[in-house]
Amino acid sequence: MSRIGRFLKSFFLVDMLRGLAVTLRLYFSRKVTVQYPEQVQEPAERFRGIVRLYRDDKGEPLCIACKACQRACGTNCFDIEGKKEEGAKVMRPTKFDWKLDRCTFCGFCVEVCPTNAIRFSREFRLTGTDKDGLLFHLPDMYLAGEDLQSYLCAGCRRPR
Amino acid sequence: MAFKEINLNMGPQHPSTHGVLRLKLAVDNEVVLSVESIIGYLHRGMEKLWENLTYTQVVPLTDRLDYLASLSNNLGYVLAVEKLAGIEVPRRARYIRVVLAELQRLASHLAWLGFQANDIGAMSVLLYGFEARETILDVFEEYCGARLTIHGIRIGGVPHDLDAALAARIRKVLDGIPRRLADIRALLDDNRIWKQRTVGVGRIAADDAIAYGLTGPCLRACGAAWDMRKDVPYSSYDEFDFDVPLGRNGDVYDRYLVRLEEICQSIRIVRQALDGLPEGETSAKVPRVLKVAPAEVFHTIEAPKGILGFYIRSNGTDKPERVKMKSPSFINLQSVEHMCKGNLFSDVVGILGSLDIVLGEIDK
Amino acid sequence: MTPFVADVLIPVGKIVAVILYPMIMVVVMIWLERRVVALMQGRLGPNRVGFQGVLQPVADAVKLFFKEDIMQRQADAFLFNISPVLVMFSSLLAFCFVPLGEPIRIGTYTLTLWIAESPVGLLIILGLSSISVFGVIFGGWASNSKYPLMGALRSVVQVLSYEIPTGLTVLTVAFVARSMDLVEIVRRQEASGTWYGFLMPVSFIVFWISAVAETNRAPFDLPEAESELVAGYHTEYSGMKFAFFYMAEYAHMVLVSSLVVILFFGGWLPPFPSVKALAFLHAVPGFVWYLVKIMFFLYLYVWIRATLPRYRFDALIRLVWKWLIPLALVNFLVVALVRVLR
Repeated sequence: MSRIGRFLKSFFLVDMLRGLAVTLRLYFSRKVTVQYPEQVQEPAERFRGIVRLYRDDKGEPLCIACKACQRACGTNCFDIEGKKEEGAKVMRPTKFDWKLDRCTFCGFCVEVCPTNAIRFSREFRLTGTDKDGLLFHLPDMYLAGEDLQSYLCAGCRRPR
Repeated sequence: MAFKEINLNMGPQHPSTHGVLRLKLAVDNEVVLSVESIIGYLHRGMEKLWENLTYTQVVPLTDRLDYLASLSNNLGYVLAVEKLAGIEVPRRARYIRVVLAELQRLASHLAWLGFQANDIGAMSVLLYGFEARETILDVFEEYCGARLTIHGIRIGGVPHDLDAALAARIRKVLDGIPRRLADIRALLDDNRIWKQRTVGVGRIAADDAIAYGLTGPCLRACGAAWDMRKDVPYSSYDEFDFDVPLGRNGDVYDRYLVRLEEICQSIRIVRQALDGLPEGETSAKVPRVLKVAPAEVFHTIEAPKGILGFYIRSNGTDKPERVKMKSPSFINLQSVEHMCKGNLFSDVVGILGSLDIVLGEIDK
Repeated sequence: MTPFVADVLIPVGKIVAVILYPMIMVVVMIWLERRVVALMQGRLGPNRVGFQGVLQPVADAVKLFFKEDIMQRQADAFLFNISPVLVMFSSLLAFCFVPLGEPIRIGTYTLTLWIAESPVGLLIILGLSSISVFGVIFGGWASNSKYPLMGALRSVVQVLSYEIPTGLTVLTVAFVARSMDLVEIVRRQEASGTWYGFLMPVSFIVFWISAVAETNRAPFDLPEAESELVAGYHTEYSGMKFAFFYMAEYAHMVLVSSLVVILFFGGWLPPFPSVKALAFLHAVPGFVWYLVKIMFFLYLYVWIRATLPRYRFDALIRLVWKWLIPLALVNFLVVALVRVLR
């Protein structure tokens, strides 16, 4: 490009006009904003949300209190105690404390669980209004959806 | 009126120190006389913490170092452990790692592009860069369920297989990025203000850069060709065809161009890896409790920010005796005074941005 | 019409309107800026409070008014408190001289859409808008903090430098219109049949660039460059005083846009006032035309902000002294020559 051409380009602010054209074009482009409470972006299939315990098809708990998750956990989220009832085939947890505030969502507990009892849910709303909601006991580990939300939220937990 | 030299405290709470970095500047009017970087506001004692965790438990914590490229940290640490324990990783797993690591490089560079442009005042580019980065984070979410602290690599392989559906999705994402880049380049490349703010600013000669230990795109912008992927290949990088972009002047503008070109090269590598994805296992057999005989190892990779190294010494138990990390941001930060001296105060922001530092990695 | 209405009610109403009108425009402008920048960046921007988020700036202002007002102990209390008022006051006062539309005839009474018509209205507006620099430098100095001080220094140098091309280009308009009365300038444009912006494009461009710089807007927003000086001269301000600075900046933008419209784009005149075929455009009230033109320039402000990076200080000064002032001088000479020869 000749020097005159360069000068003219510079004098008539061609570089800036190009930029203005880009922003003007994008002004009319599709927007990426997701209007959160009304529209919720579905998390992916493998989303690592809050971990929770599951039951089998008959409603029996799957957890056998083997403490594999407790050993695998790098941040000491778990405090599990188990007991074998008279006549029962397997151990069942009597205490299953899990601390949401310590969890890093690394997934080691899920990977080591022999009975697939502990799994990631796709629950991504993890906010509460006080610290008590971050400590989960055995019955709370089965909560899901709106029940879980009301557990995390102090205002909703109080009446219980 | 004689304007005396004043000390200016930039940070730890300042919009453009990229975290909790504190710079003590001595300025005369607007000219910078000296820069002293004071770090440690984000120190979490990572290296000591790792000594109390098993080899596998360390991996998710490496996410928290360079949180804009968490997967690269995973890769660096995991490769060091595998070298230490003599684990042979299957070829398919190595390819998947390359795909993920290059996507992470893309995400990191796109985030950098946004931050750098925002520091210099082009605020729309921040959003354009982040929009493109978001599509990559969606791929990570699809692959392993997390977006930022990914934990997407395990010792011995990768946690999940890369199926055809995901590969197709990655290809789609890769198609979208050059379009976004074209917009950004139209906004910045020729723009007189952008050039005036970046060309010739923060110059460092190749010799000085090497003496300061500068690595990564900042070093390559000086014209020194040193890329671990090319020169000391790891994880099957020697099987891919890619170029190492080099700059000439070592200024902020060249760093910008080098990173842009690296984005294109990364797209090329991911495409090749997806095309040539070999069949096979995605993970080697690794004992659940990994015990490593006493030995020591140092392994380096080319992270998006520069050369990332892990030194690990084992003592026969399932926990490392000592882990030392050579973090690229920490070492790149050293040269900030050399680059800033004599420049204007506004340029400190641009230069600091161009180094692409992440405080999680500096303070560990 | 009774004298009470004509002499008391209408003037009081006008005063209220002149205070309210810039405020409403400020609210609209803040909303416009946030929405348009967001849309250009692929986002939606504020769209919850009121229709499409129009009331968002109101909500923000209410929030700011209820926030704690912090003043650091070593600040100079008097100057610290007076400077936001000074900035706000000078912008608002200037609106007294801005004609918003044609006079409206109600019976025998003529309602003028301006408070004061002065033969030197242009000079008064320029003078008043320069007073706001004092607010900025007082605020920056009185904060007794380094970032505000640097912001204030930058601001003074910048505004003073850019006053010169502004003055020179305004002079060309005064030259051609043979008046410094804003109403008269519009009337002259009506009489001559062309807007001065088309007659003197160089004047317009130089004036516009200088005006953007004088209002401290991107790409010349160095005094409050967020990524460098945190918030520039108002770093130490909070609550209502910060809101004053913030609103004054937008009021200043509205004022400058009004000036551009009046000086170069025919104020309340419809497009092509002399073309017979477009006479039907006169059916639209002048005030509407005026608003439409102002909105265009406010939009331009936002558009530029969304696109360009920020100038560095040395380049900013180089631009004004090496390009704009010579250009304005040459332009002034040419206009003067043509004016004399004709």
